Amino acid sequence: MTAKKNKKRKNRNVNLQKVKTIKLAVMMLIILLAFAGLGARLYILTRDNRNDYQKRILSHLDYNSKTLPFKRGSILDANGTILAASEKVYNVILDCKVMLDDEKNEEPMLAALSECFGLDRTELSRYVKDNPTSQYYVLKRRISYDERQVFEEHKKAYNEQAREHNAKADGSEKMGVINDGIWFEEEYIRRYPNNRLACDVIGFTGTDNNGQFGLEEYYDDILNGTNGREYGYLNDDAILERTTVAAMDGYSIVSTIDANIQAIVEKYIKQFNDEHMNEEREGLGAYNIGFIIMDCNNGNVLSMASYPDFDLNNPRDLSGYYTQEQIKELQEDNEAYYKVLNELWRNFCISDTYEPGSTAKALTLATGIETGRIVGNETYECGGLLTVADHDISCNVSSGHGTLDVGGSLQQSCNVAFMKMGEAIGVKNLVQFQRIFNIGLRTNIDLAGEARTASLVFSEDTMRAAELATASFGQGYNVTMIEMAAAFSSVINGGYYYEPHMVSKIINSNGDTVRNIEPRVLKQTISSTTSEQMRQYLYLTVAEGTGRTARPAGYAIGGKTGTAEMVPRDKTNYVVSFIGFAPADDPQIVVYCVIDRPNVADQPHATYATAIVKSVLTEVLPYLHISRTEEMTIAEQEEAENLLGNLVGGTNKEDGNGDGSADGEDGNGEGGEDGGNGENGDGENPDDDSGKPFYVVDPNTGELINPDTGEPAEMNYSYEGNGDNNEGDAQTPAGEGGAQ
Amino acid sequence: MAKTMAKRQVQIRYSRHNMDYILLTVVLFLIAFGLLMIYSTSSYEAGDKLGDSAFYLKKQLQSTIIGFFGLAFMIRFPYKYLQKFDSLAIIISIVLLFLVMTPLGVTRNGARRWLNFQIISFQPAEVAKIGVIVYLASIIQKLEGLGKNVIRTPKGITIVMIPPTIIAALIYGITRNMSSAIIVMGIAVAMLFVAVPDYKWFVAMGAGVVAMVAAVVTYVSSSDTTGAGFRLARVRAWLNPEAYSTDEAFQTLQALYAIGSGGIWGKGLGQSMQKLGFLPEAQNDMIFSIICEELGLFGAMAIILLFVILIWSCMVIANKAVDRFGSLLVVGVMSHYAIQVILNIAVVTNTIPNTGITLPFISYGGTATLFLLMEIGIVLNVSKGCK
Repeated sequence: MTAKKNKKRKNRNVNLQKVKTIKLAVMMLIILLAFAGLGARLYILTRDNRNDYQKRILSHLDYNSKTLPFKRGSILDANGTILAASEKVYNVILDCKVMLDDEKNEEPMLAALSECFGLDRTELSRYVKDNPTSQYYVLKRRISYDERQVFEEHKKAYNEQAREHNAKADGSEKMGVINDGIWFEEEYIRRYPNNRLACDVIGFTGTDNNGQFGLEEYYDDILNGTNGREYGYLNDDAILERTTVAAMDGYSIVSTIDANIQAIVEKYIKQFNDEHMNEEREGLGAYNIGFIIMDCNNGNVLSMASYPDFDLNNPRDLSGYYTQEQIKELQEDNEAYYKVLNELWRNFCISDTYEPGSTAKALTLATGIETGRIVGNETYECGGLLTVADHDISCNVSSGHGTLDVGGSLQQSCNVAFMKMGEAIGVKNLVQFQRIFNIGLRTNIDLAGEARTASLVFSEDTMRAAELATASFGQGYNVTMIEMAAAFSSVINGGYYYEPHMVSKIINSNGDTVRNIEPRVLKQTISSTTSEQMRQYLYLTVAEGTGRTARPAGYAIGGKTGTAEMVPRDKTNYVVSFIGFAPADDPQIVVYCVIDRPNVADQPHATYATAIVKSVLTEVLPYLHISRTEEMTIAEQEEAENLLGNLVGGTNKEDGNGDGSADGEDGNGEGGEDGGNGENGDGENPDDDSGKPFYVVDPNTGELINPDTGEPAEMNYSYEGNGDNNEGDAQTPAGEGGAQ
Repeated sequence: MAKTMAKRQVQIRYSRHNMDYILLTVVLFLIAFGLLMIYSTSSYEAGDKLGDSAFYLKKQLQSTIIGFFGLAFMIRFPYKYLQKFDSLAIIISIVLLFLVMTPLGVTRNGARRWLNFQIISFQPAEVAKIGVIVYLASIIQKLEGLGKNVIRTPKGITIVMIPPTIIAALIYGITRNMSSAIIVMGIAVAMLFVAVPDYKWFVAMGAGVVAMVAAVVTYVSSSDTTGAGFRLARVRAWLNPEAYSTDEAFQTLQALYAIGSGGIWGKGLGQSMQKLGFLPEAQNDMIFSIICEELGLFGAMAIILLFVILIWSCMVIANKAVDRFGSLLVVGVMSHYAIQVILNIAVVTNTIPNTGITLPFISYGGTATLFLLMEIGIVLNVSKGCK
């Protein structure tokens, strides 16, 4: 019984064991089959979709490249003063998708934005709600590094706090963090620290570092560098790697312009404008005032200015010349608006043409002497009128000059005498020498927008007797200021025609010289003896003739005035000018001042131009360390004092004797520095009156600083300016401006 | 008699050293590999969002160390005492599940599945799994003690299957954790399958499940079910992942991309691109896809092979176990592993709809690691007494 029971139990155990073994085997089989199935599935997935899936994965990797902007090169003046420079600024970008990685991030991130950048919180929330997947939204443009730093510090402090909190808390209590959903895009903007100074020469930049007018346009390629790039790529193992190709910054250019001389020049042409504003007609002191100072021995332009000027940091600002209503009216008509702006932006000194008038007599006389048609002992009879080919052409003095020798003709600027000289010289020689003096050809100055005058001068075919007569005293054909200045330089410097230029050196971002731009002598226009003779004639013209009013006290200079009647020849509108050089015995600089239709009742007086030249030279010559050589009268001394500040009397007397003048000169210059009498207080700066620069150059930054306050020269940055103009408009004038 | 005595002594002495070291080695390897992969998959996101790239690694290392204590304890603990826990195991499981609804319950990642007892926090569902195994092993053995076919009577079936069903229902009802519910039911069915000689019920049940799946699939694919619950949405995403690539199927698709792009040999350890934010929290359910991406088909197959060895070892131990209770415990553990591994890989390869099932020993998760190691401890304990 027990045995049976035992056996039964054993049986049952055996049965259970057997069942278990079989069942386990079945289960294992099912499991193995499942694994086999999954293995097959894995294999098929890999085999069939490998390329497709690999592409999909690669496609959402971040190899979109990011542009690293280059820094456009600076424009420096001859002393290293910064005239134009690019400054790094930042655009605040919101990437909603990254921000909303964790919805908790929205709260602190938007709070940080409104706190650090003063953005409207509700507006931000609305944007995020409407565009949760937006990846690139510019919240604020062109903030400075310091403004960016405020945010970075806030972010750091907040995230530190959040991390500490999150280490303890869990789940819903975790704080959001400020992540990379807010980032900063780098950009450069152009700053002109001296605002209006040399605006026509420098030009400005539109969007995308697109230089417009002046040096900015001419040297666009050199100033611009190459953008860098940060991008991802797949290496041989299909692994993403990111690489950065650094941006190549543009080269800087060192101009021949001297900011101090430029400031002096601009002060006086502005002064002229202010004096004659609304005098005879509504408007500016003249339609245009141009002024060039050139080093006559190498073609370096030391100063080139024209008025009206504009603020380079805000080139669209017309508020100085028009009322708000007028501007609004103008802006409605796009074409008229840009016409006005282009007028303002174009550089009168190189882009505008006019009849040179009597200043051209210097060229005529030089031609006569060089060709041998005038030997110097001729005399001319002037009765106030000459009839040439049935035209009565009158002299500038209707009563006539009487009998004049060659020098006297120039001194008195006698038209009749010059018509006779022209006749003696002949059409062929006159036309040929106009070409030799480069009249009618571009000077190839390195500025954008130089006018072509080829069609505005005579050829041998078009010049008949009457044209020959008028051309010999500078009427009937057109020139640009720079053409005249360059030609005149060659007349007085020994006959060397230098190509005028504005840039002396190109340097890279480390300050190393990339290229030196050497002066280029293009040709010999006249012989050195002719030139010497011309210097003498021109010296006498200032010393005794019509140019007397141009002479700065204590200096001997040469030069020629010009008064050109404009077409129609109704004796109302004139271009008055003066071209000269200093010092008379050893010319260093050529000055040329042109006033287009001065705003006065009686226009035809070159004294408007000579007065400006005189004021400018009185300040510029001492600045250039050119010594006084002439005796000064009491009146002149007082005048110089007014202009330059108090002079030390004793030193002054020595000057009169002509020896030790260099010492005295230095003394004068230094005396001016601490002086500054306010009598001629026309400038903004009380020190404007001294013969020394308005600003001194900060040796560290190269920027102009006010010596009184030690502050940088007033820099009023507001490039964006006229809010009405969107950026699309900014592009428009680029083409127009360059088309001159 | 003396001969039998000697034989028995030899047997006993031998049995002390009979522990399945192969199994232990495989488990240790899987755990080490799991830690490596957790670091590989999570370091980017952890570094990015938490500021500590080893954050998940450190936490997992912690739970692994605790798990080793559990393992060591279960190897030594005389498992036969577990027999006494039959109904107690069920009651404890149920109580813990209900506690989730009390303030002790904690919500993480949007699901209320955790209990927090300050010193330790865990998922009661994991406790329930081991509870069900213990309960079934013990109740089946007891019923078998009453008579050969008691278990096959309706009353017997009821006693065996009702408690696991209740627990599964509670897991689903309280914690909304369908995968754990499925696993609990799967374990119960598997243990019952091994315990009884019948096939036809199981075949019928299998056929029923297949029919139900077919019905759901037909329903989902034929009718417009937009707006239905997220389970149906997941089914829809499963059937047509490309159409829901931005929402429900996003994770699945990204996992597929990872698998597909790995190729035979993979991109190399640490070279996954999908873990760089495209497959969020890849260290959890989707870790297998990153293994495929980094180590390729080869690595994936190697891991599957290790799991096969592990399950095979369990099967051998279950077969050789000297007592019915120990044998059934091992069957329960074995089926637990098998179900979880199979379902995880099936989800990752989009063979079945997405349910959150982790890969044993490899996926990140503290509670799971602790209880999986304790289960291994039980198996090793049983293996010590094998013939």
